Amino acid sequence: MPFYENGSVRIHYEERGSGTPILIMPGGGLNSSMNVLRNTSPFNPMEVFSDEFRCITLDIRNSLAGQSTGPVEVDRPWNAFADDQLGLLDHLGIDKFIAMGFCIGGPLSWNLMQRAPDRVMAAMLVQPSAGRPGPDNWFLDTYRESWAPEFHKKRPEVSAEDLDRYLLSLYSDNADFVFTVDRDFVRNCQTPILVMPDDIPAHPYAVAMETATLAPNAQATFFPWKEPDDLLQLALSHARAFLRANRG
Amino acid sequence: MPFFENGGVRIHYRDEGSGPPLLIIPGGGLNGSMGNMDETDFNPITEFSSEYRCISLDIRNGSGETTGPLDAERAWDQFTDDQLALLDHLGIGDFLLMGFCIGGPLNWNLMHRAPDRVKAAVMVHPSGYNPDDSDVFWKSNIGGWGKAVQDRNASVDQAQVEAFLTSMYYGRGDFLFTVDRDYVRNCETPVLMLPDDIPAHPFKTAMEWALLAPNSQISIFPWRGDPVRVQVALRHVSQFLAANKAAVG
Repeated sequence: MPFYENGSVRIHYEERGSGTPILIMPGGGLNSSMNVLRNTSPFNPMEVFSDEFRCITLDIRNSLAGQSTGPVEVDRPWNAFADDQLGLLDHLGIDKFIAMGFCIGGPLSWNLMQRAPDRVMAAMLVQPSAGRPGPDNWFLDTYRESWAPEFHKKRPEVSAEDLDRYLLSLYSDNADFVFTVDRDFVRNCQTPILVMPDDIPAHPYAVAMETATLAPNAQATFFPWKEPDDLLQLALSHARAFLRANRG
Repeated sequence: MPFFENGGVRIHYRDEGSGPPLLIIPGGGLNGSMGNMDETDFNPITEFSSEYRCISLDIRNGSGETTGPLDAERAWDQFTDDQLALLDHLGIGDFLLMGFCIGGPLNWNLMHRAPDRVKAAVMVHPSGYNPDDSDVFWKSNIGGWGKAVQDRNASVDQAQVEAFLTSMYYGRGDFLFTVDRDYVRNCETPVLMLPDDIPAHPFKTAMEWALLAPNSQISIFPWRGDPVRVQVALRHVSQFLAANKAAVG
């Protein structure tokens, strides 16, 4: 599978199909990688939608489960991911695209809508991650305990202090919402959106539905939708109709 | 609002907006009427007449102004007769369909009777057989609608009312009243269902047919009673109608 190189960043990506481009951001949080689409994702969009769309996916920079590598940009983590995504699309000669984000791809999609509002034709947020109201921060707690020590072992040149600052940069802002944008941004965002909610601690249903009801051009699927398979197929029919309606 | 006289039936209807025809069947069960459209979660004519030619009618012998015989032999079919006759009268061939409540079974009957003309159908809080409350339609109609229809039409008696309700709700009383599971399983018409969960709009039955139909979608749930969620569901409806309007010749 191919790599896209941009200075010290090396991004592992995959393409399948032709048509309107869909940038697919796999789930798995900071360990987001295209393996997740094949293994634990409720559906594999590379298989489901490549019959009529150009599906592009990538391992997130520095995922412990993937092959994309680059500097740990302590003070601008979300924008570093967006740099990689937009840089890859530029590299592939793609201007406008549909964003499809699983899990961490929710906040990443919002960031792309903020950074490149004229390029994102529509966004599909699948089991999107988000914070929730209250003092507990699931993401900080979980990543401090598991991801940061493991990452430090693999990349000892990145100090534990820097990794902690990195996690704080990721998960302190809009920590009761979607991290990358605030409610005002969502309230004014005209991009067509389809939310496919989940309901686990890292993917709070209430916030997913809050974005779907705040955003002026948003839809949401029936919930629950992940299983059994016939319910999943109904949700995918809705998703396909949404993608077709917004392919330009 | 205009009337169309079709033999012994006098149909009170509306025809507003322009674009691909959209037949709207108002809710309210046998007491349904176009007046109910202002009292439900959204008024379909207000929502869609800017892009569609919205046709609607009072159901025969309901609380509106459409009157005619009470034909127990053709209980569901007499309503479908009125709808198809009205569309013929208006020179409409193909159409999109949106049925509220009783409009669920009536949508299915129209797809069954005019499969080539119905290009897509939206079922909004559809009614259907309720296995947990199998007499719900008898109980809710025998006193209310049954008495009202006799008050409105002196030629209708209690025996006719009972025969009509028996035919409506027990003749094929195990699913959708109008079509069976095999029909749904093989129906390729695109359908979108907005679920509800009250005794007359059984969630279980609606989900069963939505999962059986090969070309179906379902909206968010719940959506009723919350204006913001209604808007989320309506965007889905708009997308569904727009995706299927090109099929209307």
